[in-house]
Amino acid sequence: MMNQGGNPQNLASVDPNVVENRYIIDASQSQTSSYLPSTTGSGAVPWNTHGVDNRSAENGNISNSTYYHEQHNEPLIRNVQDGQNATSLANSSSLGATNASDYNGYTSYPNASDPYGYGSTGYQGYYSSYQQPPNHSYPQPVGAYQNTGAPYQPNSSFQNTGSYAGPASYSSTYYNHSDYQTAGGYPSSGYSNQTTTWNEGNYTNYTSHQYPNYAADTSASYSSGPSGTSAATSVQYQQHYKQWADYYGQNQTEVSCAPGTENLSVANTSNQVCPVPGVTSGYPTANSQPLPTYTSTWQQDSSSSQMPSVQPTATVNGSHDSYWNHGAQSFQNHHVIPVQQNFQKPLDSNTYDNFQDQNKVACPQGPKSLYPPAQQIPPSYQPPPMQTSPLLDNRRVSKVQIPTNPRIASNLSLGLAKAEKDNSTAVAAKPAYISVALPKTNEQVISHDTADSVLKSGMFPKSLRGYVERALARCKDDTEKTACQAVLKEIITKANDDGTVWKRDWDTEPVFLLPNTDLVNKDLQSTPLSSLPKYKRSPSRRTKSRWEPLPEEKLTDKLASASNNTVKFSGWMHSNEKDRKPISGNMSKENGLSNVKFNPPEHKSGGKNFQLPIKRPRLAANTFNTAENGDASSDSDKEQNITAYYSGAIALANTPEEKMRRENRSKRFEKASGNRADFNHFKPKNAGIGNLYVRRASALLISKNFEDGGSRAVEDIDWDALTVKGTCQEIEKRYLRLTSAPDPSTVRPEEVLEKALLMVQNSEKNYLYKCDQLKSIRQDLTVQRIRNHLTVKVYETHARLAIENGDLFEYNQCQSQLKILYTEGIEGCHLEFAAYNQLCVILHSNNKRELLSSMSRLSNKAKEDKAVKHALAVRAAVTSGNYVLFFRLYKTAPNLNTCLMDLYVEKMRFKAVTCMARSYRPTVPVSYIAQVLGFTSVTPTIEGYDEKDSDGLEECSEWLKAHGASLVPDNSGEMQLDAKASSSTLFMPEPEDAVSHGDTSLAVNDFLTRTSTQPS
Amino acid sequence: MAYLSMGEAHRRITDYLNRFSDAVFSQDVSSLKQLLSFSSNSPFLISLADALNLFQDANRLIKQSDKYSQFGDIILPLFRSLQNYRTGNLVESYQAFEKSANAFIQEFRNWESAWALEALYVLAYEIRVLAERADRELASTGKSPEKLKAAGSYLMKVFGVLAGKGAKRVGALYVTCQLFKIYFKLGTVHLCRSVIRSIETARIFDFEEFPKRDKVTYMYYTGRLEVFNENFPAADQKLSYSLMHCNPQNGANIRMILKYLIPVKLSIGILPKDSILVKFDLVEYSNIVQALRRGDLRLLRQALQDHEDQFLRSGVYLVLEKLELQVYQRLLKKIYIIQKQKDPSKAHQMKLEVIVKALKWLEMDMDVDEVECIVAILIYKNLVKGYFAHKSKVVVLSKQDPFPKLNGKPVNS
Repeated sequence: MMNQGGNPQNLASVDPNVVENRYIIDASQSQTSSYLPSTTGSGAVPWNTHGVDNRSAENGNISNSTYYHEQHNEPLIRNVQDGQNATSLANSSSLGATNASDYNGYTSYPNASDPYGYGSTGYQGYYSSYQQPPNHSYPQPVGAYQNTGAPYQPNSSFQNTGSYAGPASYSSTYYNHSDYQTAGGYPSSGYSNQTTTWNEGNYTNYTSHQYPNYAADTSASYSSGPSGTSAATSVQYQQHYKQWADYYGQNQTEVSCAPGTENLSVANTSNQVCPVPGVTSGYPTANSQPLPTYTSTWQQDSSSSQMPSVQPTATVNGSHDSYWNHGAQSFQNHHVIPVQQNFQKPLDSNTYDNFQDQNKVACPQGPKSLYPPAQQIPPSYQPPPMQTSPLLDNRRVSKVQIPTNPRIASNLSLGLAKAEKDNSTAVAAKPAYISVALPKTNEQVISHDTADSVLKSGMFPKSLRGYVERALARCKDDTEKTACQAVLKEIITKANDDGTVWKRDWDTEPVFLLPNTDLVNKDLQSTPLSSLPKYKRSPSRRTKSRWEPLPEEKLTDKLASASNNTVKFSGWMHSNEKDRKPISGNMSKENGLSNVKFNPPEHKSGGKNFQLPIKRPRLAANTFNTAENGDASSDSDKEQNITAYYSGAIALANTPEEKMRRENRSKRFEKASGNRADFNHFKPKNAGIGNLYVRRASALLISKNFEDGGSRAVEDIDWDALTVKGTCQEIEKRYLRLTSAPDPSTVRPEEVLEKALLMVQNSEKNYLYKCDQLKSIRQDLTVQRIRNHLTVKVYETHARLAIENGDLFEYNQCQSQLKILYTEGIEGCHLEFAAYNQLCVILHSNNKRELLSSMSRLSNKAKEDKAVKHALAVRAAVTSGNYVLFFRLYKTAPNLNTCLMDLYVEKMRFKAVTCMARSYRPTVPVSYIAQVLGFTSVTPTIEGYDEKDSDGLEECSEWLKAHGASLVPDNSGEMQLDAKASSSTLFMPEPEDAVSHGDTSLAVNDFLTRTSTQPS
Repeated sequence: MAYLSMGEAHRRITDYLNRFSDAVFSQDVSSLKQLLSFSSNSPFLISLADALNLFQDANRLIKQSDKYSQFGDIILPLFRSLQNYRTGNLVESYQAFEKSANAFIQEFRNWESAWALEALYVLAYEIRVLAERADRELASTGKSPEKLKAAGSYLMKVFGVLAGKGAKRVGALYVTCQLFKIYFKLGTVHLCRSVIRSIETARIFDFEEFPKRDKVTYMYYTGRLEVFNENFPAADQKLSYSLMHCNPQNGANIRMILKYLIPVKLSIGILPKDSILVKFDLVEYSNIVQALRRGDLRLLRQALQDHEDQFLRSGVYLVLEKLELQVYQRLLKKIYIIQKQKDPSKAHQMKLEVIVKALKWLEMDMDVDEVECIVAILIYKNLVKGYFAHKSKVVVLSKQDPFPKLNGKPVNS
C-alpha cells in the first residue's frame, strides 16, 4: 500500500519534477537558452513551488545542458523525491483514496489535498498562467525542440505545424524529460521515435499500466485527458485547439502534464483510434483486431463496463465517447489486471505500438501484435523496451520507487538512453509501476471494455472500414447513425470472434438493413440517461472545459454544461453529441465509481507518462481533429489519412471563393481550423450524409496525392475538380455566409442565377432584400467559379444599388471585384465604374497616392468619357475647395455620380460655410448660400427665386442653424448669415442617423423588425 | 565565342572557387565584391559563365575540396544563376541568385565583424536589379511579375540582420535604400514606414554615422514620401538635405532631387531661377514657374495638361495643381497694383467684375459666382487679406500687406 501510495505520489512528484526540472534548468540556465524564457513564464512560479517541495536538490543537479543528463540526474533525484513523496503519501491516506484526491487536485479540482506538494492549486495556477502567457513562455521551448516538432508535423499534416509542433515538443519537454530526450536525441526518427518511445515507456513502466495508460490516453485524447477529470481538461484543450491553434499545443501540454504523461501517450493512440470511431468504420475494426488475448480481456471489460450505447458508439460514431469510456475503463482494468497479466500487458503495449505505427503512416502494418511496430520505427528501440518491460514487471512486483518510472520509460523510449534507462529502471522504476497498478485496481471494478475496443481499433481490414462507411453513409440522421453503428459493431464483433474479419470480402458484403432507430435510441439513451445525473459531472466538465480555460465545474452546473456542450458541439458533430451522452453516462459511471480512484491511476500514469507528453499533443490534436471530423478512416495508415484528410479538407473547404481566405485562416488557426473547415464543409451536406462521405472520400483521394498534405501549397490543388455545379432551381435564395463547402443542391446554376438577377432588378422590395439576394447570387457565382458577363452584370447591379443606397461597404466589395473582372477582359460598363472609383477615392479616402495612381491609370480614352470627365472635374473642385463648382457638378452628374457625391455634400457644405463666414463681411444672404450650395433644385437668376426655391431656402436656413450659424434678417426681411458671428460658432453636428458600426443598413429598427417576424 | 576547351573551363571554375574562398578567408571584400557583381559584366564573370555552360559538373568541383564545399550553398546556386544570366534566362537566374543570397546572409550572420558589408551591398543591389529584369521577362510572357516583391522580402531579411546593434548596423541604411527603390517601384510605399521607423527611432545609432551616400538616398526617398503626404516643410527639409549632401558632380542625382524639391519649394512660395531649370533639364516646370510669376492661370493649366502624364507618374501633379491659388493671388495682386497706379485711394476695393474680366482675358471662362468662390477661398486661406462684400460684390483688401507672402510656409489648408 505504501508503495502504491508512494507511486502515485511519485508520479505526481515526477510531473512536478519534470516541470520543475525544466524550470529549474531554465533558472540555472544550464539548459539551452530557449528554455529560459519558458521558465521565466508564469508557469514557472507554480512549478517552482512544486519543485521546492519535491526536489530542490534535483534541480541543481538537473541543470545539465543536455537532456540526457537530466534524465540521469532526475532518476536519482526522483528517488529522493520518491522518498519524500512516499512520506507525504503515507501522511495523506490510503492508496486509492489518496491517489484519487491527488488526482482531483491535479485535474484542478479544488478538493485535492496537496499531499503531493503540487496540488491542484499548482495546476490551476499553471492552467491560468498557461492560458494567459502561454505564448511567451512556450514559444521559446518550441524553438528548442523544433526537431521533435518537425517530425511530428508531417504526421499530423497540420498547417499549423509550426506552432503545433512547438507545443508538442514543449509538452514533452516540460513534462516528460524522457520524451524530450528522446525527441532531442533522435530528431531524425521524429514522430515514429516518439511513438516508439511512448510504447516503450508504457511498456517499461507499466506492463500492467499500459492499458490503463491507454485508457487514460483515450480519455485524454478524447475529452482531454487524464482520467475522468482529465477528460474535462481535454475538452478544454480541444476548444483551445480550435480557437487558438497556437495555444492549443500548449494547452495540450498542460493537460498532459496535469493528467500525467501517461494520458498523453495514450491520448496519441486513442486519438488515432478516436478519429476512426468518429468516422465510424475505422474504429471498430481496430478494436476487433488487437491481439487475441488482449482483445478478449478487453472485450469482456468493455461489455461489462461500457454502456450499450457506448459500445455501438465506440464502433461507429462515438469514438470519442467510447474512447473516453475506454480510457476510464481501461484504467480500471489495468489496475485489476496488472498483476495478473504482466505479460499480456507487454502484448498490449505492442498492440498500442501497432496503433501508433499505423497512425504514423510510416508503419502501415499496424496490427502487429508484438513489438514489431515499435521496432519498425527505430530498430534500436526494441531491445530497450524488451529490457524495460521485464524490468517493469519486476518493478511491479517489487513496487519500489515510482518516480523513476516515468523517466525510465522515457529512457527506454530513447534508443540512446538505453543505458540510462536501464539504470533508472533498476533504481526506481519498479516501485512506480506497482503503485500505478494499485490505483488502477480501484477503477477496474467499473469496466475494461472500452479500452479493449480501443485497443482493437486499427486492426481491421481497410475493406471493412469501407463497409462501415458505406453502411453509415445511408444514415440520414444521428439516431439512425447510432443505430447503424450498433449493428455494425455487432457484425464486426461477430466477425472478429469467428475470425472472419480478415477473410470476408467486406467490399462485397451486403449492407444490412437500417435498424429501427427508435429502438436503438432507447437502448442508447436508457443506460446513459440513468447514469447521467450522477455522472454528468465528467461530461459536463468536458464540455465546459472546451469553452472555459479552467476545468473546474460544480456539480449543479454539470447538467447545464452538458446540454450546453451538446449545443456547442452540435455544430461540428451531430454524431458526437449522441455519442457524448452515452459517453457521459459511461463516464459518469466510471467517475461515480471512481472519480477519485480514477484520478489516482491517472496520476500514476501521468507520472509514467512524462515520456508520453510529447506524443500527447499530437495525439490530442489528432484525436481532436478526428473527433471533429468524425473521420471514419482510421486504419494502419490512419496518420496518413489524417494528414491527407486535412489537406483534402482544406482543399474542399477552400471553395474558390474562399480559397485565399481559407488558406490564410487555416494557416492562422492551425490544423484544427482546417479540420473544422472540413467538417463544416461536409456539414451542409448533412442532409445527405452519403453525399458527405463521398465528398470526403474524394477529398481524401485528392489529399493523398500529396504525401505531405498540409505542407503542400494550396495552389497545387485542382480546384476545377472541386468546383461545385449547382442544381438548385429556386430563383430566390437568402444569403448565408458559407462556413463550409457549398452543397450543390442549394447552389443555383447560371441560368437560374440570370433569372434571379432579373428578379432582383425588377423587384419592388427594399434595398436590404435586394442586397441579400444579390449577395447570394454572388456567392453562387463564386462557388461555381463563374466569371463572365453575368458575373460582371451582377456586380455592377449590386454596386449601383449600393451606391444608390449609400452602402459604401458593399460598393467597395463590388468595385474591387469589378476591377479584377475588368482586367480579365470581361466587358462591362468599366468607364462608368472608373468614374465611380475616381469619385470614391477622391471623396471617401484621403489617400493622395491612391488618387494619383488611379488618375494615372486612366487612359486617354477614359478621360474622354463623360462620366470620367465629370469625376475628374469633381476631383479638381474638391482639391481646390471650389464649392460652387462642386455643386454645379453635383447637379449635372451623370449616372450615379450624384449618389456618390451625396455622401460628400455635407462635408463640402460645411467647408463652404466655414469659408464664407471667414471671408464675407458683414453678411451673406441665405438665398445665395442656398443657391451656391445646392439647396435649390435649379440655379435661379440672381434676382429672384420662385416658390419652388423657397423650399430650398427653408432647408438651407434649417441646415445653417443646425450647424451653428447665426442668421439675421436684414431690412427687407431677407435672412442673412452673420458671417462674423458665425465664424466662431460653426460646428459639425453629429449625424443623427449615425450608427455605431457605421452601417446604417443595419439600423436597429430594421434589425428588430426582421428578427421579430421570426418565431423565437 | 572562341572555342573553349574542357580544361580551360575547368581552370576558370577552379580559379573562381579559389578566388572566392581566398577572399572569404582573407576577408578581402573588394575581390569578393567582384565575384558577386553580375551586372558589372566583367570579362572574368562572363568567361566563367561560358565555362560553366560547358563544364556542367561544377558541383563535383566544389565538393572536391573542403575549402570550396563549405561555400557550396552559396556558390552552387550562384553558378546556376550565372549560367542562366549569361543565357538570358533571368527568371531562373533570379531564383538561383536568391538562393545563393540567402545562403550568403546566413554566412554573413555568423561572421563577427562587418568586413563583408560591401559584398552584401553588391548582393543587395544585384538582387534588386536582377529581380527587376526578371519581372520584365515575366511580364513579357504574360506571367505575374513577383520577383521584385520577393527581392523586397529578401532585403527585409537582410535588414533584420543588419539593423541590430554592432558594426553591421552601418549597412542598414544601404539596404533600406534598396528597399525604398523596390517599394517605390512596386507602389507599395506604405511598406517603407516600418523601415523608416526602425531607422529613425534607433537611439543607439546616430543617423549621421551612416555613410553619406546612403543618407542622401534615404533623405531623397523619405522626402518623396513627404511630398505624397503633402507635408511640405518636412519634404523641403529632407530634400534639401539630400541636395546639399549629394555629389555635386552627379547631375542626374541632382535632377532627381530637384524634380521633387522644386514643386515643394513652389508650394511654399519659393521660385527657382530659370537657369536651374535649364541646367538640370527640368523645363517642364518652367511654364509653371512662369505662370506663378505672372499670375497666368491659363499658362498653369496648360502646363499641367501638357505634362500631365509625367507629373502624375512622378506624383507631383496634385502638388502643382494646388499652385493655382497662388496664381490667383498673383493675379489679384497685379490688379491691385494697376488699380493703385490709377487711383491709390480706391485701390483696396476690387470689384469682382474686374477679376472676372481679367480671367476672361486669360480665356478662363468663369462666372461671377465661381470667381466669388475663388476669392472667398483666397481670403479663407490667408492668401489675401481682407473681406468680401457680397452685396456690392467687392473685395475689400486690407490696407496693410493685402497679399502676404508665403515665405516658406505652406498655404493654409
